[in-house]
Amino acid sequence: MITPNIDALSLGELQYIARKQGLDDAEVLDREELLEALQELYEEQENRLHGEGISYAPSAQQRFMNTLVEHESDANLGLLPGVQRLPETYCETRIHLLFKDPYWAHAYWSVCPADLQRLEQSSEDFSLFLRVAVHESADRLRPADSVDIQVMTTDISWNINLPERGRTYSVSLHYRDGNGNGGMLCQSDTVRTPKSYWIEHSRTLREDEKTFTLLFSSLVSKGGVMVEDPLLREVIEHLDARMGG
Amino acid sequence: MPRNSLGLILNAHMPYVRHPEYPRFLEEDWLFEAIGETYLPLLRMFRKLREEGVPFRVTMSFSPTLCAMLSDPILQGRFTDYLRLHQELGEKEVERCTQEQQPCLPLAKSYLEMINRNLQEYFETYQCNILSGFRDLEATGHLDLITTAATHAYLPLYHEYPSAINAQIELAVQSHINHFKKRPKGFWLPECGYFPGLEEYLQKEELSYFQLAAQALVLSEEPVKRGNYAPVTCPNGVAAFARDYHLTNLVWSNVEGYPTDPHYREFYRDIGYDLPMEYIKPYIHSPEVRVFTGYKYFAITGKGNDKKFYVPELARRKVQEHADNFIYEIRQKGRKLAGLLDREPFYTLAFDAELFGHWWFEGLDWLESVLRKVSQTDDMLFETQLDYLKRYPESQVLQPAISSWGEGGYSTVWAGGSNVWIYRHVHKAIERMEELAIRFGDQGSLKQRFLNQAAREVLLSMASDWPFIIHNGTSSSYAEKRLKEHLGNFNVVYENMCKNAVNTEWLVKAEKRDIVFPDIDYNMFNQKSNRNRYNG
Repeated sequence: MITPNIDALSLGELQYIARKQGLDDAEVLDREELLEALQELYEEQENRLHGEGISYAPSAQQRFMNTLVEHESDANLGLLPGVQRLPETYCETRIHLLFKDPYWAHAYWSVCPADLQRLEQSSEDFSLFLRVAVHESADRLRPADSVDIQVMTTDISWNINLPERGRTYSVSLHYRDGNGNGGMLCQSDTVRTPKSYWIEHSRTLREDEKTFTLLFSSLVSKGGVMVEDPLLREVIEHLDARMGG
Repeated sequence: MPRNSLGLILNAHMPYVRHPEYPRFLEEDWLFEAIGETYLPLLRMFRKLREEGVPFRVTMSFSPTLCAMLSDPILQGRFTDYLRLHQELGEKEVERCTQEQQPCLPLAKSYLEMINRNLQEYFETYQCNILSGFRDLEATGHLDLITTAATHAYLPLYHEYPSAINAQIELAVQSHINHFKKRPKGFWLPECGYFPGLEEYLQKEELSYFQLAAQALVLSEEPVKRGNYAPVTCPNGVAAFARDYHLTNLVWSNVEGYPTDPHYREFYRDIGYDLPMEYIKPYIHSPEVRVFTGYKYFAITGKGNDKKFYVPELARRKVQEHADNFIYEIRQKGRKLAGLLDREPFYTLAFDAELFGHWWFEGLDWLESVLRKVSQTDDMLFETQLDYLKRYPESQVLQPAISSWGEGGYSTVWAGGSNVWIYRHVHKAIERMEELAIRFGDQGSLKQRFLNQAAREVLLSMASDWPFIIHNGTSSSYAEKRLKEHLGNFNVVYENMCKNAVNTEWLVKAEKRDIVFPDIDYNMFNQKSNRNRYNG
C-alpha cells in the first residue's frame, strides 16, 4: 500500500535507511549499490517471514516508507523540552490487573525496596509467585479457586490467562521462603470476564431464524467477514457445534 | 411504508500537537491536512446541500483537543502559512505538469483551486475559526454537535480511576459549552471503548446517549431484542447505539470497502516522496524531511507498485456507483428486517471524520451523493440519535458488554505488547494527582495554576493517540516522547508540591506550551469534593 518512488530518494535518505537496517558499509556504497543492498535485505526478510508461515510480510517499498516516516519523526524530537526518563517501577508494593480481552488480563506490580530488603533478610532463598484467584462475586476475600504462577524477583509484569467467562478474577503477589513459609504482599482489584447470553442459549438461536437475522445481519460484512471478537467467535462455535450435532 | 433510518456520526479528533517553540513542526501537519482535506471541504459540502434545500441530519463529535487547536491563534496562523506554501507549490506544479507531465495537469490545477478556495473561505467565511461554520450548521438544524473525552482517552483502561474518567468527561462538556455555547446531549466513546458502568459518569454530566462497537449488544448477558437496529437504554437511563458493522464496513474496510477501488486516488503516492529533493525541498520539512504534500497523481490501480495516473472522471463514475450500491444495501437490509421489528430500523453509521476527504479522497463526494440520493427517497432518511430517541422514547433496558471497535474487539490495541508499559506510569500520575487534589484542595493564585497545569499534563498523557501510534509503529518515537514529556512535566509539579514549592519560571513556560483547557480545575481529581459538588 505504501509506495514511494525510491528512485527519487536522495543518497542521504538511503544511507539513513541503510544504517537503520544495520548495513555496515552504508557510508561507502553509492546510490545504486545502496538500493540493491536494501532490496536484497528486504527480500530476504520477506522470504523468511513467509517461510515462518506469516501470511503478511511488509513489502520492500513499505519498509522504505516506514523508515522514512521514522526518519521524519526523529528530526525534531531530540529538541523536545522536558523529556525525562521514567522509573522502571515506583517505590510501593502494589499490583494492578488490567482487562485486555475476555481471555487475557495484564498484571503489573512493584515491590518497594524496604519490603524486598525485609524478604532478603528473612530468607536467602525466598521466591515470588502470583496467585490468580477466581471469585464467585466481587468479594476479593473469598476466592473459589486459584492458580499460582512462579515469577522472578526481577519480573514486574505478566499476562494472565482468564479461563472462564462470567467470572471475577484478582491477582495477588506472594512470597515463599525455603521453609515453605510465606505470605501475601499485595492484591489487585478484580476484573470480570464477560459472558454472553447466547453462548448458553445457542439452541434458541439455531431454531429461531428471526432472532439470528436480527442479531447477526449487522455483524457480518458484505464479504462474509464477521466483527473480530473472540467471544463472538465462541458464540458461533457453539452454534456450529449444535448444528453439527 | 417503514423507513430505514440512518444515524451518521462523524468523529472529528486530532491529538493535541502544538509546538510554538519551533518555526515548523512535522506533526502539526496532521491537523493542517485534516482541516484542508476534510473539515473545510466537509463544511463546503454541508453548506451547499443546505443552500439547495437538501434535507439532512448528521451528528458530529468534536474532541476538546481538536477544538482547542482550531481556536488557537498560533495554529491558525501556521495553517495559513501551510496553505500559502502549498499554494506556491501548486503554482509550481501547474508549470511543471504543463512542461513535463501533461496527464497530471488538470489534477494539479484542481488541487491548486481547492487550496485557493480553502484560503478564501478560511479567512473570509470563518475568520480563521472553522468551528463557527459547524455551529452555524447546528443552529439551522442540520448538525447535532456532541463531545468526546477531553483528550480522547480510551476509558476502559482507566476503570480503576473514577476521578480520571470524571475529569475526562466533565472537562469535555465544559470545553464543548465554551466552544459551541450549548450543552452537548451525546458523547462519542473514544474508540467505542465501553465497560459496564461507564454510563454512570455520562449521566452525571447530563449526557443522554453514546455509541458502541457493533458486538456490544449481542454479547450482553441478557438477550437483546432488536439487535443493533434500535438503541437500548442502560439501567441508568442513558441510551446506547451499536454500530452497524455490515454497512460501515462497506466504507471502512481496507480490504473490501469502496475506498479500495482501483480507480480511486492512491493516498501514498505523493510528490513529497516521488519528486527529486532539489525540487521538493522548499515544501517539505527541514533539513530534508520528506512529507505528504497533498499533490497526488496516481490511482490505486492494484496491489503492486506500478500505478496508473488518476483519472477524476473515472473516479466520479465510481462514486456514483458506490453511492447507489450503498442505497441498495440499505434497502436490501430493510427488506430483510421487514416484519422482524416492531419499529423502523435505525442504522448507526459511526466513522472517523478524517476518513472522508483525507484518507479517502473521494469520500466526501460519495457522502454528498448518498445524502442527496437518500433525500430523494421515501423509504430512508438521515436522522440523529436524538431524533430517533424522540420518535421512540421507549427502548429495551440492557447492560451492554465490555467492548471496543479496535482489532480483537477489546483493549489489546491500546494495551498490547508494545504499549502496555505506559499504564504503570499514567496510572501512577493519576494517583498522585488525586493525592495533590486532596492535600492541596482549593488553592488560589500560583499554586492553583501550578496544580491546574499538573491536571492538564495528566489528562494529555491519557490520550488514546499515544498508545495507538506506538501500536501502529509509525511516528512511535514522537508518541513515546510526548507521553514521557507530559508525565515528566507532571512530576515537576508533584515533586515541587511535595516540598510545598512552586517553580514559577517552569510554570510560565509550561502554560505557554500547553494552553489547552484554560478553565481546568484540578479539584476535579478530588473524588470527595466531586461527590459534594454533585450532591450539592
